[in-house]
Amino acid sequence: MRRWLRQHRYAIAVSVRRLLAQPFSSLANLLVIALTLTVPILGASILITAQPVARQLSVSPEMTIFLSPSADADASAGIAQRLKADFADDVASVKVVKRDEAMAKLRANPNWAQALAALPSNPLPDAVVVTLHEHPDLARHADTLATQWRQWQQVDLVQHDSAWVQRLEAILRFARIGLVLLAIGVALVVLATVFNTVRMQALTQREEIGVARLVGATESFVRRPFLYLGALTGLTAGLAAIALAYFALMPLNTALARLAQSYGTSLALRLPDAVSLALAVVVVAILGALSARWSVTRNTRF
Amino acid sequence: MIEFQHVFKSYGRGRNILSDINFRVDPGEFIFVSGPSGAGKSTLLKLIGGLEPPSRGSIAVNNQRIDKMPSRARPYLRRAVGIILQDTHLLFDRNAIENVLLPLKVIGLENSLAYTRARAAIEKVGLSGKEDMNPVELSGGEQQRLAIARAIVNRPAILIVDEPTANLDQETARRIMDVFKDFNRVGVTTLIASHDRRLMASYASRTFLIDHGRFNDVKGVAA
Repeated sequence: MRRWLRQHRYAIAVSVRRLLAQPFSSLANLLVIALTLTVPILGASILITAQPVARQLSVSPEMTIFLSPSADADASAGIAQRLKADFADDVASVKVVKRDEAMAKLRANPNWAQALAALPSNPLPDAVVVTLHEHPDLARHADTLATQWRQWQQVDLVQHDSAWVQRLEAILRFARIGLVLLAIGVALVVLATVFNTVRMQALTQREEIGVARLVGATESFVRRPFLYLGALTGLTAGLAAIALAYFALMPLNTALARLAQSYGTSLALRLPDAVSLALAVVVVAILGALSARWSVTRNTRF
Repeated sequence: MIEFQHVFKSYGRGRNILSDINFRVDPGEFIFVSGPSGAGKSTLLKLIGGLEPPSRGSIAVNNQRIDKMPSRARPYLRRAVGIILQDTHLLFDRNAIENVLLPLKVIGLENSLAYTRARAAIEKVGLSGKEDMNPVELSGGEQQRLAIARAIVNRPAILIVDEPTANLDQETARRIMDVFKDFNRVGVTTLIASHDRRLMASYASRTFLIDHGRFNDVKGVAA
């Protein structure tokens, strides 16, 4: 076991020595991989920031059932009762808003007060505001319920603006697929860059490989430093990419904060959580090692 | 120790470089392999070291059949055979002691023990004090001795050497041969490919003479 550990320690030392022996070439390779990895990290940052916004909009949608102006005074209470009784699984809460109450609210708004004063009578209907429970496909589910409720007597309109929520979800789904494709592209860049780096290294270390074989080195011994070289390249590039993304988010967030402020809200892009980032770095390191193994197997047949 | 039975070697579909070679070498023997250039001396040594497989026939080294050995097992055989090729194959990106340390790193020897053994090997070949020098700073004879130190640091039972004195002056060549003879005296079976008849006459007790695939096992040096 100790012998095995010593051989691995030696392989790591050799791979670090080889990386440091060609500092500019190693740095250029690291930079290419790091910059390429920064793009999906930034993409993921945008996506994870946009996702809760969309979820917030679609998770607890409020649907409003407007009654016809000729509806009985107690019709809204009846509908509220029916919703609670027949749709207990779907409905989280029900609130009746009487037409006078709605009018009073509008009058309280100085922007509307003048216009409303000109009206001879209250044109607003009674309404029932329904909050739905969570559902895996809430937008579609809300549409189904709205279709049913529109059939009820004395109901004039069921308002549920799910179309734009669906559109937003479709955009996010598209972005998620785009991010997966981007990740595949980045993986290919990592594979190609590490493959070429290791190929060049194997050619320059030809003499050393030959001597090592002469004195009894196994193929694992010959390949091991290259595998570590690939893994170290992936690991370092992954960490550098996180640092680059972190610094890139700073000016982006300053600009975004100003934009959000003008809409009276706050919004900031943030990196994916530490576990996801650590996982991404590990995956890149494994990709680097696999590519190195492929390259060294192909390029040391002499 | 080493046994060849009806060994043939050819490359591709070309003519046989070695044809029907048969011999047996006992532990502790000191043997020269002689013959003109291209006769197959280096090929014979490479077959013993497991660097090349035979085309036909059986080769046993240290009671292990090389011809039947899977390629992944050959490195372990090479650790018991010290190989010094005509070109010393020293690594010029590291100093002398790091060159000698390589076989010990291959077997995963503990660091301090590896350094002790490497220093002892360097001392045995008379290069003490030059451990930190780059091989490029050493003379031709010193480079040859450094290659010997690297080959013997693993304490091999067999030493195979290809043209160790080529390009060396008589005095340096004699000193190198004395190093081999010293190892042979402590029981290391030694096979040396050479075409230097004067040198062979001073050291050989048995010579394998190879000429265009034909093999002769002679006592002393062939006339």
